[in-house]
Amino acid sequence: MNTNLKISNVTKIYPGCVANDDVSLEFNSGKIYALLGENGAGKSTLVKILSGVVIPDEGKIYLNKNILKLNSPSDAKKNDIGMVFQHFNLFETLSVFENLIIDSGEQRENLKEKIDTIMKKYNFSVDLDVPVLNLSAGQKQKVEIIRCLIRSPKVLIMDEPTSVLTEQETSELFLSLKKFSEEGILIIYITHKLKEVMQLCDEVAVMRRGKLVSVSQINNENIESLANKMVGQDLKTIKKKKENTSSEQLIKITNLNFTSEDPFETNLIDINFSLNRGECLGIAGISGNGQSELFQVLSGEIISNKNSIEFNKNFIGDLNPQERREYLMAFSPEDRLEQAAIPQMAIFENVALNNFKSSNFFNNGLINESKIKEHSKKIISEFNVNTDNIDLKSQFLSGGNLQKLIIGRELITSPDLLICFNPTWGLDVGAINYIHETLIKINEQNKSIILISTDTDELLKLSDKISVIHRGKLSKIMNAEDVTSEKLGILMGGGN
Amino acid sequence: MIIDINFVGLIIASIMASAVPLILASCGELITERSGVLNLGVEGMMIIGAISGFALMTVTGSLIIAVFGAMLAGVLISTIFAFLTQTLITNHVATGLALTIFGIGISAMIGKNFVGIPGKEFPVLFEGLKDTIPLISPILFGHSIVFYFAFALPFITSYFLKKTKIGLIVRAVGDSPESASNQGINVRIVRYACILYGGAMCGLAGAYLSMIYTPQWIENMTGGRGWIALALVVFSTWNPIKILIGAMIFGGLTIIQFHMQAIGVRIPVQFLTALPYIVTIIVLVVISRDSRKIRLSTPSSLGKSFHKDN
Repeated sequence: MNTNLKISNVTKIYPGCVANDDVSLEFNSGKIYALLGENGAGKSTLVKILSGVVIPDEGKIYLNKNILKLNSPSDAKKNDIGMVFQHFNLFETLSVFENLIIDSGEQRENLKEKIDTIMKKYNFSVDLDVPVLNLSAGQKQKVEIIRCLIRSPKVLIMDEPTSVLTEQETSELFLSLKKFSEEGILIIYITHKLKEVMQLCDEVAVMRRGKLVSVSQINNENIESLANKMVGQDLKTIKKKKENTSSEQLIKITNLNFTSEDPFETNLIDINFSLNRGECLGIAGISGNGQSELFQVLSGEIISNKNSIEFNKNFIGDLNPQERREYLMAFSPEDRLEQAAIPQMAIFENVALNNFKSSNFFNNGLINESKIKEHSKKIISEFNVNTDNIDLKSQFLSGGNLQKLIIGRELITSPDLLICFNPTWGLDVGAINYIHETLIKINEQNKSIILISTDTDELLKLSDKISVIHRGKLSKIMNAEDVTSEKLGILMGGGN
Repeated sequence: MIIDINFVGLIIASIMASAVPLILASCGELITERSGVLNLGVEGMMIIGAISGFALMTVTGSLIIAVFGAMLAGVLISTIFAFLTQTLITNHVATGLALTIFGIGISAMIGKNFVGIPGKEFPVLFEGLKDTIPLISPILFGHSIVFYFAFALPFITSYFLKKTKIGLIVRAVGDSPESASNQGINVRIVRYACILYGGAMCGLAGAYLSMIYTPQWIENMTGGRGWIALALVVFSTWNPIKILIGAMIFGGLTIIQFHMQAIGVRIPVQFLTALPYIVTIIVLVVISRDSRKIRLSTPSSLGKSFHKDN
């Protein structure tokens, strides 16, 4: 049976931001639709409206010409709309089966049978009795999909489903989605990744700043045309100049191990690598494979064996982050508002947190405010932070501006090594470009970078050497020119 | 000295009796906490239950009205907590502390007229069987219905959480209210229900103290048992069976140190009085030290307000 879903003049306004501005769209089953846009373009709000999580201020939704009242997520479920969220909607401490039974009206045995049938049909294999927190991201997603399929949905909405998947898992997912589509399920695929749209979808709707910009057949589009629609301006592409890097070794990691007591953390097993001046080492991997532990060990948040880290001919494995900064290391952690900055404190106060002996931010224990403010203004102008109010609380900066501030704070002392972890995560294209340019510039000044990132395109663009972390183990270091994203994908999934 | 075997039985029975209010309050609070709500008002709800039960018994003369009235009083006072934390999204810790202070104050005020009034005898079950088997009989028979209920409760609670759908929903809400809400579960209603249930159990625990354990009203008669109940929940790692063990150890040491003081053992009194608190916590920490299991049974959202954005 054909399914027709129609969104008509939907508007949703949040204080200070129009998330959806008079959006109208129509979908028919048998096709896969892409909803494309940058972060903050309004696509998430739109799918939250379709799944009943958010109620629109204006506008109507029709399913097969009947008006739909979606006041809660259960309304969406009742109307056969299934949704796989970007941040998994699973209960981590419950078993897979408990997660599946919780919102189904079925008896245990019936449900087990149904799950078995679905798993066989689509070639999924997930252990039903383990707690969800033991699953990989790909498996968690399968649990979410199974949960939708149990209800035999007419519409399946996937919100940024590949952000946590490997290449292999992604292609498996695409195969499944195509199968679902052939079986008559209407698929709406939300993403900001252009390649995926070209690979998977039949039609594409582009959103920008809450508005629908265009709807078109995929055959009439290419990656550049979609990118320009998405960003609203022509994008310049930056390339790294491949120059001969020096052969002077800057940092050397020897037999670095970390064993955690927290079942949520990953142990690091026998990490070894070295890096020369002027080089960028990219560390790829699916999130949760030990990246954050590696970052913490390198930055000194977790202290390790003194001899395991040799930096500039000093052994510094047992030093804390502040002491390592004195040796000219700099750090940009993954979580900007939790780890890199204190949200409730003003910009200049956050700058002062990065306190060097030479900075003279404090006199006999008293804060030297004018000195700090002068320093902060320098960072803001040099690193293009879009504000002139250094008394502003850092939580009010956009992600891009905050990241520029953090990178600026780290770089203004001209360190020899910058270690950054997902520096462009969740940023818009403009800010990403700026950060990438900045990182390239650092390398050109004969300074080094360790870039831990889950974005393979970013890694291939910026790195001289690449390694992959999988379950706390680092693969051998490869030259970036010899690496393809397919190869990285295989290593990220644990292959050879 | 020959120890009368029935005397040992009686001591064990008295240990169990002293564990009853802890088990009731802890099992109630455990359900509340499993839904992600931290209610530090246990002491306050217990004392409200104690005065309500005693007052209703004295005024109406009906034990049934008194017991259920005490539970209802626990429900009513926990409704205040639920309204504040779930509807007005106040901070759980501050609200719970306020609830305890409020409960102690208002119970003292109501209780003024009931000081010195003797309690009524509470009927016991299976009294005829009390002398049949040595050692065993005094332990098993001749107790109030609340006593038997309390010792069944950890098992009922465990079954409820593990095997029933509603129990699963309670755990899910405590694990991730956001996900639960997106799954169409009404987080607020689940949490309200769990808070009110916790209130009812604390009310019953209070009534047990003032009507059965020491049948009289004394100001502040809960004497910190509410705080011990709270500690039991945490140190048992939200496991009802371990609550039973913890409550028995605590009750046991309280009774034993009491007897030791009476006999005149030459250990400082202060140390003996502190002993139950220290040993209970040490034992529970030791039996629950598996960090994996702690992670799996700790309600991840405990004490965090959930506000559905719309």
